[in-house]
Amino acid sequence: MSNYSHPEVLVDIAWAKSNLGNPKVKFVEIDVDTSSYDSGHIPGAIAFNWRTQLQNQVSRDIISKDAFEKLVGGAGIANGDTVVLYGDNNNWFAAYGFWLFKLYGHEKIHLLNGGRVKWLNEPDAPLTKDLPKVTPVKYTAGNEHKEFRALLPEVLEASSKKDRNLVDVRSPDEFSGKIIAPPNLPETAQRAGHIPGAKSIPWSTAVNQDGTFKSADDLGKIYLQEKGVDAKKASIAYCRIGERSSHTWFVLKYLLGIADVKNYDGSWTEYGNLIGAPIENPTGGSSGTK
Amino acid sequence: MNHSSRVYEDIFEMLPSEENPTPLVRINKLNPNPHFTLYAKLEWLNPFGSIKDRPAWSMLRKLEEEGKVGPGHNLVEPTSGNTGLSFAAMASARGYKLRAIVPGQIPKEKKTLLKIAGADLEVLNDDVCPAPGLGDGSINRAKSHAKASPEEYTLPNQYENEANVDAHFRTTGPEIWRQTEGKITHFFGALGTCGTITGTGRFLKSKNSAVQVVAIVPSEGHDVPGLRNISQLHISKLFDSSVVDEIMEIDYKLAYRRALDLSRKEGLLAGPSSGLIFEGASEVAARTKSGLGVMVFCDNVFKYLSNMLKHHPELAAEGFGFFPTH
Repeated sequence: MSNYSHPEVLVDIAWAKSNLGNPKVKFVEIDVDTSSYDSGHIPGAIAFNWRTQLQNQVSRDIISKDAFEKLVGGAGIANGDTVVLYGDNNNWFAAYGFWLFKLYGHEKIHLLNGGRVKWLNEPDAPLTKDLPKVTPVKYTAGNEHKEFRALLPEVLEASSKKDRNLVDVRSPDEFSGKIIAPPNLPETAQRAGHIPGAKSIPWSTAVNQDGTFKSADDLGKIYLQEKGVDAKKASIAYCRIGERSSHTWFVLKYLLGIADVKNYDGSWTEYGNLIGAPIENPTGGSSGTK
Repeated sequence: MNHSSRVYEDIFEMLPSEENPTPLVRINKLNPNPHFTLYAKLEWLNPFGSIKDRPAWSMLRKLEEEGKVGPGHNLVEPTSGNTGLSFAAMASARGYKLRAIVPGQIPKEKKTLLKIAGADLEVLNDDVCPAPGLGDGSINRAKSHAKASPEEYTLPNQYENEANVDAHFRTTGPEIWRQTEGKITHFFGALGTCGTITGTGRFLKSKNSAVQVVAIVPSEGHDVPGLRNISQLHISKLFDSSVVDEIMEIDYKLAYRRALDLSRKEGLLAGPSSGLIFEGASEVAARTKSGLGVMVFCDNVFKYLSNMLKHHPELAAEGFGFFPTH
């Protein structure tokens, strides 16, 4: 992992195994399918539910700083603890959790390279259904990093001025307007297509067959050379609800070392519902029923 | 047991063997070549309704002998339905259970059947967004249960279990050899776990290396339950390319077209995978001077009514009365 700009953000399976039971290391599983944890998890790991615990349950927003402090402290995580996040779907929502922890200033935060599927398929990596005993602690958020988050006005400006990299990390069919969202997902939009000026770089181009991230050299070739992300410019990543784009935000910022990268967590479910917003839609799909 | 009187002490005595083979039925009206005899092996006449009775029984017996399943020690398996149904019914009759991990897109009929047979169901949305590798789908969910609670669950894993292949080597292959009196020239099967093609192919080749083993696969983007095309083959560890002479890719929509033809022209109420295999076999028959081909017809159409309606909407228009189209 040493070729990455910030290799310290990743831990590998061997490191995780050697730190099982370490009271200063807290494993947290965050899955797309929130039932995954119940079928077996890393011993000692707790789970956060992205739908009910990482989102404001009234307005559409991330949880507040106050709610974050209660959630993390309630999970027995202290300010100085090392937190290792992992999850299903190649760490989609684990990356979202990473972004949230960074946003609220937690210093020692890492992703388990390869996520849930890599751990599961390691012959000697243990799995349990036992729930850990958690002792709540007082947790205080650190310095907030609002610069990691893009809100709609900035996205509209980036699209019209064309002065930043807009990276659409959804599947090619979502980008082209053929579909609005992957099948069977409830969060959707009224319109299909993508933000004008965005480059299509599906999140999955960043990962290997075993779920781990590609090497720094490969990532550089894909994002900087083939896809034309300009590392000197600011970048904004978006997807449908902000989790796949957290994954790419992580890649651009920490593995490739681009200084100014933001995650637009409003993503297509915000943008594709706006009245009058400019949209590029190569396949012509436009109806919310498409 | 007495196969001649067909009186049995329990359902397991009905499972197929060389002495109690599933029938071969000749294709008459739909065969394009009168010099190339085509037989369908009707696997839906197995006691639990599909070809999967064979590998399920083989895997289950082995696990029972090893003490890995029994009352309180259950099965967990990723399944698109047929293996699950065989496992669920067999396990229920033997005093334990199956936890079936199923993809969301399989037909309601199959999910309901699994529940009727006593399975616990866990339905996953496997199709969230294209990703490299296996993803976190049914197979890994089943592995998770088996790894996290080995005292409660054992994973037979039909995709990797050699007892799956062995079932066909011991039963399907010898049955066909005996039923055709060794005259078979072509064997046609589809690819799912690949147990059928590998096990039957190995046996037939061991008897006569000239027997042509043809694997029929659906085209990309298919919706034929239980089958794999070339790009999905990596999921199974049981595929043995050395026994397969040809892989034929067939437009998957023909699976449903030919299933209807078989019902209406031959009286064979065959499911879509059988329809696909029949299309491939017909094409081989049409281009081959003469021969004797045996096709595996994995299951009948009863579990696929909603799939059939999707591909043949005219069926609903032929006298259903009110039938919502949206």
